[in-house]
Amino acid sequence: MKLKTLEEILKKKSSKTEFAILTNLENGNSEIYIPGTSPEGEFSKYTNEIEKFFKSKKNGVIENSEIFVETYIKPIKVIIVGAVHIAQYLVDFAKSLNFEISIIDPRGYFASEQRFPDIKVINKWPKEAFEEIETNSNTALIALTHDPKIDDPALQFALKNKFYYIGALGSKKTHENRCQRLSEAGFTNDEINSIHGPIGIKLGGKSAPEIALSIIAQLVSETYKK
Amino acid sequence: MKNSFDEKILDEAQDWIKANQKVVLATVIQTWGSSPRQVGSRMIVNEKGDFSGSVSGGCVESAVVSECLSLIKDNKPCKKIEFKVSNESAWEVGLACGGEIAVYIEQIH
Repeated sequence: MKLKTLEEILKKKSSKTEFAILTNLENGNSEIYIPGTSPEGEFSKYTNEIEKFFKSKKNGVIENSEIFVETYIKPIKVIIVGAVHIAQYLVDFAKSLNFEISIIDPRGYFASEQRFPDIKVINKWPKEAFEEIETNSNTALIALTHDPKIDDPALQFALKNKFYYIGALGSKKTHENRCQRLSEAGFTNDEINSIHGPIGIKLGGKSAPEIALSIIAQLVSETYKK
Repeated sequence: MKNSFDEKILDEAQDWIKANQKVVLATVIQTWGSSPRQVGSRMIVNEKGDFSGSVSGGCVESAVVSECLSLIKDNKPCKKIEFKVSNESAWEVGLACGGEIAVYIEQIH
């Protein structure tokens, strides 16, 4: 691989665009492929096969060839509501996972850059904050404030936009009240039951890093169920 | 859904190159049977034999390092290596899990 190609790969990775690395295993030539375009030269006749790898989100050697395809897909977007202590540990755990995190918190003293270096922190109420983030059914929401004023609008947005994972922190009682409010707001039982609340898998721990671990474990598990 | 964890190996490769080291990139390109690391898993090796990342669960890394060192010494661009089920004569380079993997090694230049 040429150093120039490596540098281009790193640039593409940090800009979170989808691409593939094509390598000719016989002569060592490699190039970057952008989906929807035509690959050049020796790779040009494999366009269909390369697109198949993209569709199945897999890496591999094209059958009856010496061409290796490695696809890079966009990381999953995870929106955390509440720049609280648990969020700091979530950010830590997510560093080695392929998640792109944004944090929403209208309370300026929580959502400071110093507490969350290198993370997109939006210091606005959920309604306005969601205007700044592109979301779809591949997005996850983790609501951590257990303050209805902040969590509820975010949960409602996530339900309406069919996020694949929605979790909300709070005790059973807090969650019951939350479900009641969502029901009054017109959400169906199926929608309300899709919220993971109380959030996280049962580990037994009560400290901030332990709760963060139980949340991230549930998020990874739900991601693989998709 | 593919959500492989984000390996920082390529970033590390760039750091090593910036530090004037020669770097060989090893990538798992095919697997058969049960193998510990998925296709696309990577490790890097420098001319001193230091390495980072993995292509198996520790089963074949030492063999990959020596192949990478030979690649640098012979100044060859790339090579494909296959590792099969372990046997006694090659205990060091066998996959104890019973799988087979193909690893592609290439110099970054």
